[in-house]
Amino acid sequence: MKAIWLAIAIAAGGPPLHGLVAQDVAARLDGRVPPNVARAVQGIAQDAQARGLPIEPLIQKAIEGGAKGVPADRVIAAVQVLAARLDQARSALRDAGIQQPTPEALESGAYGLSAGLSAGQVRDLGRVSRPPYDPALTLRVAATLAALGVPPERGLQLMEHMIKSGRGPNDLLDLPSEVQVGMARGATAAEAAEGLDAARGGHEEQGKHDQHGEHGEEGGATRKP
Amino acid sequence: MMETFDLRVKQLLDGDLSLADLPPELRAEGEEALRLIAAVDRTPVKLTPAFDARVMAAVRQQAKSPARRVWRWLAAPREVELRLRVRPWAVWGGALAAAAALALLLSRPPAPAPSAFRNVAFVRFVLYAPGASRVAVAGTFNQWDQTAAPLVPAGTNGVWTTTLALPVGQHQYAFVVDGRRWIADPAAPAVDDGFGRRNSVVAVTARGGRIL
Repeated sequence: MKAIWLAIAIAAGGPPLHGLVAQDVAARLDGRVPPNVARAVQGIAQDAQARGLPIEPLIQKAIEGGAKGVPADRVIAAVQVLAARLDQARSALRDAGIQQPTPEALESGAYGLSAGLSAGQVRDLGRVSRPPYDPALTLRVAATLAALGVPPERGLQLMEHMIKSGRGPNDLLDLPSEVQVGMARGATAAEAAEGLDAARGGHEEQGKHDQHGEHGEEGGATRKP
Repeated sequence: MMETFDLRVKQLLDGDLSLADLPPELRAEGEEALRLIAAVDRTPVKLTPAFDARVMAAVRQQAKSPARRVWRWLAAPREVELRLRVRPWAVWGGALAAAAALALLLSRPPAPAPSAFRNVAFVRFVLYAPGASRVAVAGTFNQWDQTAAPLVPAGTNGVWTTTLALPVGQHQYAFVVDGRRWIADPAAPAVDDGFGRRNSVVAVTARGGRIL
């Protein structure tokens, strides 16, 4: 029944959709956060929805704040910061040529910004994330590497080398685990990433790209034996 | 009881040999064996008429069952003569089609798991919290409800654990110790939660739970 009303509202467009968003947010937050927080988050979510941003992360952040017993003003501030990061991620991905980023890509972009990536780095990663690479996946990997303590520029370098050498998306997914293995052996996060890059011939790839230009050798590159 | 038994005595009992065929030293033994066999009561067992009637009634009832008659008709072997007049190309065509069907059957990927299981993965959470009286894990997967996923002590050494089925996607979470202390998972990457603490991050892919 809710889906039918949502469809009708979408067909009608404009204010009814906003009303539904507000109702949905209010229902989700009812009993989880103080009423003033719920009202503020409704407004932030409506605005985000109007700009094409996903609202689920905003609702989750408010619920998280309520569960952790965080004061109302700080919950509202945290939701606003997250909405701003989602917006920033959307701009960065649009600058990368991705005009309609998926909600997952936007969430991953915001996650990356939270983990320490700059908007420029999100944009750069969006640029190299062409099929079969999904920007949501590459951004999530980069953010996780940063969350592990790998300096963002080092993590991005490692990922760009792998993408340019034709490694598959699943190889990227394994990177954080491999960094953790290196850290368990006593290396710092940066050293572990450096070691992975060297083991995969990243420096050789870099040299090759320096010789042939930035986009000269997509895929099929040879690596050191 | 006899320890040894001459094969010829057995042949005598089976009727393969007569007493006269036995050598003189075995005849006494043969006669004794025949006497013993003859002493066995071979009178046929007499059944009461009532028992006989009951058995026959049960047999007739089984025989009258239509399902059993149909099954008997289907299962009874009979001779069938098939005469096929086919051209050689039809034989080869049929064989090729059968081979193609077999190859198709063998090359089909295994049936996918039911969607309810395809979109979740089991993730084990472990926290070393000696001295804690209760530990739970709360996150985006359970609306940050600190009562939804309690951990249980694994022995008496302060290790707490639980395994949850999480949907595919990225989740943030934290452990809640004694209902008031929120602690990031030391074994997972963590990000600022926006409230001055850290949230751990776990990603669930179709290949299972992982730190990404």
